[in-house]
Amino acid sequence: MRIQDHPILDFSKGRKVRFWFEDRELEGYEGEPIAAALHAAGVRVLSESPVRHRPRGFFCAIGNCSSCLMTVDGRPNVRVCVEALHEGMRVQKQRGGRGDLA
Amino acid sequence: MSEGGERDENTIICRCEDISLADIRRLVERGYTTIDEIKRLSRTGMGPCQGKTCRLLLMQELARATGRPPGEVALGTFRPPTKPFKLGLLVGKEGETRDSQDTGGGEDDGGQGGAAR
Amino acid sequence: MSGGPKKYDAIVVGAGPAGLSAAAELGRAGARTLVLDRDTRPGGQLVKQTHKFFGSEKQRAGTRGVEIARLLREEVAALPAVEMWLNSTVLGFYSDRVITVERVKDAPGEERREWLEKVTAPVFVLATGAAERFLPFPNNDLPGIYGAGAAQTLMNVHGVRPGRRVVMVGAGNIGLIVSYQLLQAGVEVAAIVEAAPVIGGYLVHAAKVRRAGVPILTSHTVKEAHGREALEGVTVWRLDEKWQPVPGTEKYIAADVLCLATGLSPLAELLFQAGCQMAYVPELGGHVPVHGEDLETSVPGVFVAGDVSGVEEASAAMVEGHLAGLGAAARLGLVRDLAAVAAGWRAELASLRAGPSGEKIRRGLAKLAGQTAGMAASSPAGSPVSPASAPAASAPAAPPPATSAPKPGKPGRTLSPQLTSTGEPAASELESSLPPADRRRQGPYAVIECFQEIPCDPCHKACRTGAIGPFPDINLTPAYEAAHCNGCALCVAQCPGLACFVVDENYSPSEALLKLPYEFLPLPAAGHTVDLLDRTGALVGSGRVVRVVRSRSKLATPVVWVTVPSEKVGTVRNIRVPATKGGAAE
Ligand SMILES: Cc1cc2nc3c(=O)[nH]c(=O)nc-3n(C[C@H](O)[C@H](O)[C@H](O)COP(=O)(O)OP(=O)(O)OC[C@H]3O[C@@H](n4cnc5c(N)ncnc54)[C@H](O)[C@@H]3O)c2cc1C
Ligand code: SF4
Ligand code: SF4
Repeated sequence: MRIQDHPILDFSKGRKVRFWFEDRELEGYEGEPIAAALHAAGVRVLSESPVRHRPRGFFCAIGNCSSCLMTVDGRPNVRVCVEALHEGMRVQKQRGGRGDLA
Repeated sequence: MSEGGERDENTIICRCEDISLADIRRLVERGYTTIDEIKRLSRTGMGPCQGKTCRLLLMQELARATGRPPGEVALGTFRPPTKPFKLGLLVGKEGETRDSQDTGGGEDDGGQGGAAR
Repeated sequence: MSGGPKKYDAIVVGAGPAGLSAAAELGRAGARTLVLDRDTRPGGQLVKQTHKFFGSEKQRAGTRGVEIARLLREEVAALPAVEMWLNSTVLGFYSDRVITVERVKDAPGEERREWLEKVTAPVFVLATGAAERFLPFPNNDLPGIYGAGAAQTLMNVHGVRPGRRVVMVGAGNIGLIVSYQLLQAGVEVAAIVEAAPVIGGYLVHAAKVRRAGVPILTSHTVKEAHGREALEGVTVWRLDEKWQPVPGTEKYIAADVLCLATGLSPLAELLFQAGCQMAYVPELGGHVPVHGEDLETSVPGVFVAGDVSGVEEASAAMVEGHLAGLGAAARLGLVRDLAAVAAGWRAELASLRAGPSGEKIRRGLAKLAGQTAGMAASSPAGSPVSPASAPAASAPAAPPPATSAPKPGKPGRTLSPQLTSTGEPAASELESSLPPADRRRQGPYAVIECFQEIPCDPCHKACRTGAIGPFPDINLTPAYEAAHCNGCALCVAQCPGLACFVVDENYSPSEALLKLPYEFLPLPAAGHTVDLLDRTGALVGSGRVVRVVRSRSKLATPVVWVTVPSEKVGTVRNIRVPATKGGAAE
């Protein structure tokens, strides 16, 4: 899913890092949004909706909506579309709601 | 369930609180036709996104259900989401902001924030 | 948190084209200005716009959005009075004019830090832009259903394709442009679905995707999305004249991505919080702050600019940013004769909105102007002049054209239903874009397939021979006089609508030479054989590449010279590099 050659753009990427999604080890580039790294690895289902347990992916990509909230290194409700990826991060799906949220 | 009913169940209006078109229509049938009422009863628009994605959909549906132009639904009953109370709390708690920020409590958090105001 | 809020002379929220332009004015006037943006890079929507912009030279027309963002950034960075905080989200605007900012520091190798900060200033420019609209249909929340802007961010900022096969909803400018950008990123676009009977975006953008083979289904909408864990397909159906779906017209389209480009609505939360008087104006995108021509809201000292004040274009956002910045600086006593300084910008804004494409905005602003009447007293700096009346007044008296000079396109020309509903010009329109038969035989000439009045003029700026005359009004269609044209194809490379072509009918006894813009990879090289496509992307023959003219910068549009069988020179408008042989240059 990564664009190798683009007619107009050149992409400058950070260094390659490894991170965990559930129990899978994946690769991404440091500093890119976690959602971009997951997407590039073919992961499109990021969460389960709080009441109806529907699969959700990201929607707005700029932190407006709540479609991409995940647990990152134990922190719940992280908007992975805007949160930067780091080496060794542990990214998990949130199931059945936002837990600690009112 | 009728085909239309199932379609409405699967049409999501508010992602944060998982409210479907069918949920909204049920509330309208029970006589709740203003944004404030629906917000209070269903929490539509009060999740982390603060209504950024659902507000217009809700307005459109209420306009359709009541035969009013959307502008009137909006101007007649709509009050903006602000979170003065939650923020007031936040300001003292430097460092542990993430969770509280994401509560996104609207101006009336289904009673909780409202009581403290 | 110790002490009170940090104090500045001015605070700008949002570092998009509007906010950066406002900051530039404030900084130049010497105001200590703080610019806040939640993103990690300034530029707003511009950072993902790979296409060249419309508008006039003053708003950097013909330049790609990403470049405009860079230029604006550099302009602001050079001003010592301006400080910029990125990764800084404004959470709340309080009645005492204090705003709370959530700041994040997240550098590699350092511990992530989040903290809150309070800042205040006597004047504000709120330029938060707009958010994408969502659409109600069954399974509208499946993974793979994205806002068009989200798909664009993913591919143009982060270099990740959103999927393999996309259905786009909305044939406005965003839907058309993002479709084109998806094609450039190597993603298939199965169809563009549009509920209205006509294409809402610029028809030159529609023509670009049409000739790449993408169907535009007007009077169609999404019936439902399908998929278990993520999107697998979409059912669309036709709408009748009353916008009611017609049962039996359902079509299933396999796709792993559905992009919604169904409009934007202003991100107005902070304005509500600040207590600004708001009005619901559908033409401007929803709830917008009531404001006058000076862009001051009902709360004195709180100015707005860009999409948050009414969804429009980056060109208008920049001009509004200048006006809001000047207004705010005047409030601080840093600009002496505001009316004089602002006059030029106001005239420019009026001219951008003057044409048919600005009609909706004019209508919306007229509605809003109705609401500003009551504001005059509370806003001393405000001059609640109806912005809608400005365009008419500003229509310049066109100089009488000299005999041999190109004649400007006639305003108010009607477009064929075929063009407005499919993006393909009708025969009569194509005929009108050709020089007289005897001129065609004399040597290369340009064919300018730009029939709609849009605010755009780079073709004139590009043409050094005077064959494309000046635009007395930027909304007119280009005025072309073949007598002056030497076939240099500079217009082909410059036109942001990719609507200019050059034809040389005398290339050989049986072949003509066509010079066309080509912004895809792989780029062919001289000697390669390529497929020739018509205006709908259908294969009509094959041709030989004679030359590829490109500049060192990737940002310039390459121009491909290709041979075309003589009888097909009026039909061929695109090429495709065959996957197997001939292609794969570089
Ligand atoms: C696909 C597409 C194609 C387009 N093509 C053209 C074109 O050809 N020509 C043209 O003129 N225009 C075009 N536009 C429109 C143009 O991009 C927008 O009109 C323009 O960017 C609006 O500028 P702005 O500064 O108002 O908002 P934006 O560019 O959206 O910037 C707003 C900024 O505010 C920030 N922000 C928002 N809320 C907060 C907050 N609470 N705290 C901190 N920061 C915040 C955001 O991060 C963002 O950086 C196009 C738009 C799109 C999506
Ligand atoms: S081909 Fe050259 S001379 Fe002819 S219109 Fe275009 S820029 Fe002008
Ligand atoms: S032909 Fe001229 S006016 Fe038309 S899109 Fe191209 S540059 Fe703009």
